[in-house]
Amino acid sequence: MMNIKYIKAIRELRIDLRRTSLAVFALALGIWGVGSVIVSYYILTRDLNENFQKTEPIHLILESNDFSNLDLKTFEKRPEVESAEFRDFSLQRIEIKPDEWIPLYFYGAENFGSFKLAKIFSESGETRPEKGSILLERDGQLISNLDVASTPRLRFGSKVINVPISGICFDPAQAPATQDHIMYAYTDKETYTKFTGLPVNRRLIIRFRNVYSAHDVQNTAAQIIKDLEENDIHITNNKIPLFNEHPHQWQLNTLLFLIGAIGLLAFIMGSVLVSQLMRSVMVSQIRQIGIMKSMGATQGKVFQIYTTMLLVIGLTAGIIAVPIAIATGNWFAHFVAGVLNFNILTSVPVSIYLLLMFASLVLPLLLSLSILIKSTKTSVIRALNDYGINVDNIGKKTTKKAVRFTNLPGTFILAVRNSLRNSRRLSITVITMALGVAIFSTGFNVRKSLWNLLSDLRNELRYDVQVALSKPISKEDAIQLFKGISGVKDIYLWNGGAGAVQTNVLSTNKGAGIIALPYNTELIKPKMIEGRWIRKSNESEVVMNQQAWQLYEFPKMGTNLNISIGDSIINVRIVGVAQQFELGKIFIDADKYDAMFNPQHLGNTISFVAENNEYENVIELKRKIERAIVPSNLNVLFVQANVERVKVVYDHLNIILSTILILSFLVLLVSAVGMASATGINISERTREIGIMRAIGATPKKIYSLFTAEGMIISMGSVLLGLLLAIPLSSVAAVFFGRLMLGDQAILQYAFSQTGFWITLIVTVSFGWIASRMPAKNAVTKISTREALTYE
Amino acid sequence: MSDTIISLQSITKTFTSKAQSFTALMSVNLDIRSGEFMAIVGKSGSGKSTLLNMITGIDHPSSGTININHTQLSTMNESKLAKWRGENIGIVFQFFQLIPTLTIAENLLLAMEFVGTVPKGERVKRVRELLTQVGIENHANKMPSALSGGEQQRAAIARALANDPKIIVADEPTGNLDSTTSHAIYDLLESLSKSGKTVIVVSHDPNIASRFNRILTMSDGKFLNC
Repeated sequence: MMNIKYIKAIRELRIDLRRTSLAVFALALGIWGVGSVIVSYYILTRDLNENFQKTEPIHLILESNDFSNLDLKTFEKRPEVESAEFRDFSLQRIEIKPDEWIPLYFYGAENFGSFKLAKIFSESGETRPEKGSILLERDGQLISNLDVASTPRLRFGSKVINVPISGICFDPAQAPATQDHIMYAYTDKETYTKFTGLPVNRRLIIRFRNVYSAHDVQNTAAQIIKDLEENDIHITNNKIPLFNEHPHQWQLNTLLFLIGAIGLLAFIMGSVLVSQLMRSVMVSQIRQIGIMKSMGATQGKVFQIYTTMLLVIGLTAGIIAVPIAIATGNWFAHFVAGVLNFNILTSVPVSIYLLLMFASLVLPLLLSLSILIKSTKTSVIRALNDYGINVDNIGKKTTKKAVRFTNLPGTFILAVRNSLRNSRRLSITVITMALGVAIFSTGFNVRKSLWNLLSDLRNELRYDVQVALSKPISKEDAIQLFKGISGVKDIYLWNGGAGAVQTNVLSTNKGAGIIALPYNTELIKPKMIEGRWIRKSNESEVVMNQQAWQLYEFPKMGTNLNISIGDSIINVRIVGVAQQFELGKIFIDADKYDAMFNPQHLGNTISFVAENNEYENVIELKRKIERAIVPSNLNVLFVQANVERVKVVYDHLNIILSTILILSFLVLLVSAVGMASATGINISERTREIGIMRAIGATPKKIYSLFTAEGMIISMGSVLLGLLLAIPLSSVAAVFFGRLMLGDQAILQYAFSQTGFWITLIVTVSFGWIASRMPAKNAVTKISTREALTYE
Repeated sequence: MSDTIISLQSITKTFTSKAQSFTALMSVNLDIRSGEFMAIVGKSGSGKSTLLNMITGIDHPSSGTININHTQLSTMNESKLAKWRGENIGIVFQFFQLIPTLTIAENLLLAMEFVGTVPKGERVKRVRELLTQVGIENHANKMPSALSGGEQQRAAIARALANDPKIIVADEPTGNLDSTTSHAIYDLLESLSKSGKTVIVVSHDPNIASRFNRILTMSDGKFLNC
């Protein structure tokens, strides 16, 4: 037979199943929230990096026309070189849907299946592309309908070729196609030359041995470049990728930070909830503790009974929550892996299951330890004289305040007094709920701030579609080619090219796009972070966007710089920094640029202003432009609609924004359940009072309205406090997330989300309503007046 | 006296709050012999329940000494006192105070479990004997709420006897019962006294005199007839 102490513990749990279920639910919710975070954190901290490292990432990329002078086998024997190979690359275009073309990173390689660095992994079809075919990176399939045996149209310069796909591969080192709207294709060198018309073995990728930092890589790279130059191998371009870091690691870092921070918060709130519930359980047991002590029970024996109760609650919550936590943690990790295009390699170890079960058992004990000790320590006389609510708790001050409402309905006065009668529980409930409301509301506000920023970005560019060319054309040719397209208000032709500010430091890729445009153009009106826009001047003035400014290590306004464009160098003065979330760009007055580099006034950027810039019209215009380009001999780099450009930025941020919302909803849910449980406990404790009210003639409707009014008072108070708290929190969060996601120069302005406001209000008030009505209904309908009067 | 089982010397109990202080017992002296069937009567607020709490160790005197069965209560901490209480005193309350989530038999078993003087193997048998002794053997497996007031009080008395204490203390044991049931409960308590237990009953009813060996009347924290 089970020990009678444990029988009592289990009976106590069974006798008030609703409260026990609430405690189990609260704990399960907390364990689920924290467990999901721990599991996804455990997987994600490892897997993106592990996927990336499995590719044996590149440390240095060199381009030269003189690599025929290089003996690769000898080069590979250098002590600092782990491996090196020629992997040619060019930017092409691919049609993913009818008249929808996006950039294609096109690689030419040998030794498919046995790469020593920058490895790719076969997913389906051929491992080595058949002659005249390509392997396609798998993430591209998510934005197209392409698969093995499809033959998409590829544009190589002015040629359009139908190229079969012979295999799908996985390249974990690339930025996801879904986010960057770029696809990746790999072919053998012969096919590469055949399609692109470009010679091969012009691009050398190298992985170093014994390098532990970006600094090590820079030093080693500088020495290699120097040695190659001494051997008549002139390096035309060099690029050092981010050291041992996936291009989208920042996104994952942001996500990990978010889930860590909000998970911790949910955990704290869940903990408060569990301790509140246990407090209420113990309060209702005080008299029984007195009886047991009068029968000879020591504090230790009483402690054992309630410890057993907690262990049963913990065990039940753990059995329910741990498998769900593992499943949702895994699901979230897979979701992130899908978005960032990497494989989940880590399986959740047994130690995580054990940790979560241990937490389920120990947490309620730890959280309730103080109340448990306090309650079991209560003297017999005090315990036997306990009749629930202590009159002192109501307080004279509160009574006086409530008396002022004498003109209000009696039910309302009672509701106000009841709400205030357990001030400790009330404050914990309101603060927890307000915190949930504040975080949830902040999630919406930050989202709104970002959306506003993106709208600003969209509005500051007055053109709608831009066509970038690798070979410039005259304005006349451009107009001739596109004149038949309807819906175009204006066409502008600008020039530019790849340029670099000359510095002595060999660092990551130093190239930036040079955009030569009339200083007084109306097409670009960016927000200036520093200085001003370019003006007509005797000197050559430039404005950098923030990426270029960062790339060149934040030159001061008014500084003169040497910019190399091709083989020429131009001295310019930096006058401003524009806020843009694109690759590095340097804006220069077209007259100054043309005078030096473009005497024929050709252009390689064609900007279209649509007659109607609604989303669908712009997308249709883009399709028309694409259709006009197909038969032409234009060498197109990309065609981009401004609205889509904003979408690309938004897609990068969307996963983070969605995570903010999901997690802040979790916090709101935990806090709302907290409120529901606190109200439930409050009402359960007053079952006897309900009996008295019924005995003196209160109708069920009156009792309902009393408890609903109490719930509403607490909900509204929490919402009000939460929304007030959300204002400073949103301002701080906007700055924080702006910097985290978009760089140090990104300033997000506080924005108020009306949608968020209404959702928060509806969710919170609904919870308040349900939380008060359900236990009241139970007390009114399921218990008779006699039972209610004798309820302990 | 060699057979004195309870001895109270100069017991004073003062309750102090922020607003006022109230003396419930004023230098009370009392000796109770083993096997006595004794009543303490008095009006509400006269100090009888406070006195009972002193005897049971539920409350501590502000001054004075209490010796029960050769043990001075002030020498014990709360845990020792609880165990001592379980072994030496059985308490019967006005409102029965049975654990509502346990059956009648389980209530008795819990009392035995706490004190541990009855060997585990003998507990069920003893429960049966005690319930038979108080006349509710058929209700062993019922929850307290399924029993009448008189039956619940009988169960409470059986529980008070669970660990075979020498002293039974009953605080207004019939205060919640009708007169017929009250008589039955007093009969039961008297039979316990006859079997050798020291039984002390507190009541506000002055018309119970005939049953007891000794009746003490309390008023304003003092005995009127001690």
